[in-house]
Amino acid sequence: MSSVSLRSQRLRATNLLRDRTALLVVLILVTSVVMSVISPYFLVLDNLLTMTQFGAVIGLLALGQTLVILGGGGGIDISVGATLSLCGVLMGLSVGEGVNVWVAAGLALAAGLLLGALNGFAVTVVGIPALIATLGTLYLFGSAAQVLAGGTQVGGFDQAGFSFLGTGTVLGVPAQVLFVLLPAYALTAWVMRRSLFGRRVYEVGNNGQASRLVGSSPARTRFVLYCVSGLLAGLGAVVTNSWLLVARPGAGEGFELQSITIAVLGGTYIFGGRGRVSGTLLAVLLIVILGSGLQLAGVDPSWQGGVLGIVLVLAVVLNNAFLRERGERR
Amino acid sequence: MASDIGTRGAAAPVGQGEGRSRRNLGPVRQVVVPALLCLELLVFATLSDNFLTGANMANVILNSVDLALIAGGLTLVIILGGIDVSTGPALGVVAWVVGTSTVAGTSPALTIVLAIALGALLGLINGAIVSLLNVTAIIATLGTAAVFQTALFGLWGGTDLFAPPVSRYAAADRLLGVPTVAFLVLVVYAVLWYVTRYRAFGRHVYAVGNDTEAARLSGVAVRRVSLAAYVLVGGLVGLAAVVYMARVGVVQATSGTNLTLAAIAAVVVGGTSITGGRGSVVGTLFGVLFIAVLQNGVVLTGVPPLWNGVLVGMFILLAVGIDVVSERLSARNAASR
Repeated sequence: MSSVSLRSQRLRATNLLRDRTALLVVLILVTSVVMSVISPYFLVLDNLLTMTQFGAVIGLLALGQTLVILGGGGGIDISVGATLSLCGVLMGLSVGEGVNVWVAAGLALAAGLLLGALNGFAVTVVGIPALIATLGTLYLFGSAAQVLAGGTQVGGFDQAGFSFLGTGTVLGVPAQVLFVLLPAYALTAWVMRRSLFGRRVYEVGNNGQASRLVGSSPARTRFVLYCVSGLLAGLGAVVTNSWLLVARPGAGEGFELQSITIAVLGGTYIFGGRGRVSGTLLAVLLIVILGSGLQLAGVDPSWQGGVLGIVLVLAVVLNNAFLRERGERR
Repeated sequence: MASDIGTRGAAAPVGQGEGRSRRNLGPVRQVVVPALLCLELLVFATLSDNFLTGANMANVILNSVDLALIAGGLTLVIILGGIDVSTGPALGVVAWVVGTSTVAGTSPALTIVLAIALGALLGLINGAIVSLLNVTAIIATLGTAAVFQTALFGLWGGTDLFAPPVSRYAAADRLLGVPTVAFLVLVVYAVLWYVTRYRAFGRHVYAVGNDTEAARLSGVAVRRVSLAAYVLVGGLVGLAAVVYMARVGVVQATSGTNLTLAAIAAVVVGGTSITGGRGSVVGTLFGVLFIAVLQNGVVLTGVPPLWNGVLVGMFILLAVGIDVVSERLSARNAASR
């Protein structure tokens, strides 16, 4: 009798842990409590809202990363940061040529799409393993950004209310979160859950061979995912430029690792097929709270990297443990 | 459900017929990188008079020793089907310890032993996370890379650490006009070559990379082999840190970081398959030379150094693209025959 209730209790506990959403919510709450103990400024609404703007850009990149990883077949995009840098510089240069800033933003998006398509081509058509293909384009795009910008930053974005996107707020909510991040996640979540394409991504990610046999093309699906990842990096470049009002050729450096960390932390299985957009959003929130809290506590931002690294490995160890348990039960 | 956890899924699309295709295209694959290297030497020699001089070639070698040592060890990890993206930050941490130890007046021999031991320890951490906790190599080493990077930041503490070379042999000292450290690289690569070709451990590395499950079933201690490979690359990172410190002479918060991707690039350009099971340290040596010559030649021919990455990226895509396409063509030939 008592052993039965004990077992059900333990089951409930592991269920809670196994559900990544619940785990992340708990982590977010715990972190928030700890941070508000450390700093009285933490739980002020203003601070909470301001904080979210730091998550907008990395959130966009992590979303693209999540999609590419979900598509399976060893899919990964470590060029996201370099793509962001290059799109940002291209946008800066076209503004310098007298192009309207909003048109230039459109160009940045198009450039992102194109660079993503290049990745997709290298991976799905040529057949280069994603890690290597995007390593190559990381060098290529990152250096191209430096070359085009001549090693310095490119500016001139302060026109036609463009800075509102990166620095403005509506009812205290940063514009980049309200108008870019949340719509991007909402749209993607809808596509992944409700549309044929979204279902196909999971299907391809779970078993590329089987999906080929039932007539859908894994290569085509994955190609689109790389394009979307590039597009989101372009969007990230627009937000970054609007925030800093200059395009830095090194703006995206280091984002590749962060975006992978967030995707995996959000519960995306590194070999594809399993994971949710909402998990990635929660992981972004957790990272933002962690980062901002550490900053308020006077810890140098550089220490965040180490914390993030430990969190990443722990997240996967937990993932493995749950997967193994589930596998044994069946 | 459980079966798809351990395997690397669709990572190796070319299954049967691979033995045949390898026999067909082995020569092609082995010739691609040396041929590109010759082409590169030719182009730079034509464009710059200062390129093919003894002094400049010595420079190329001096500047690529640390990269060569890391890439040599990394080759084994990649053949095994793993990856290590923490080598750069790990080198930074060891370099700081080497610098501190040298400044404190520790004997060179002890400093070198300390460096190798510390590097091996960091490799052991990677290996333990990968092979004992079953965390995918890319994730595990991404995590440790961040941790090592932060550790270096903590050790660095806001002031750059300047230190003299551990020994004059580790710096610019020459033997018969060749930098002494070049012989170190040759010895390390000769040992690695011998081990991967003729020792059980080396063959096990290939076996695990080709088919982990088959290797396990035929009695290979998969975890131990994998652990050893990560420790090996760690030890070589430690040795590389000694040479790095002698060459650069200063440790900063970001020391070593750009070696991570360069090392992977060298291994991959050298013909080692990123999905494991195929490759050689000799190829990696060519890959290292290729990248080192490229970086040197670009500067000498007056191209702004910013272009470096563009060229490196293009050659990664080119070299691996040729490899992948030729493999697919030969697989198709083999199938149609």
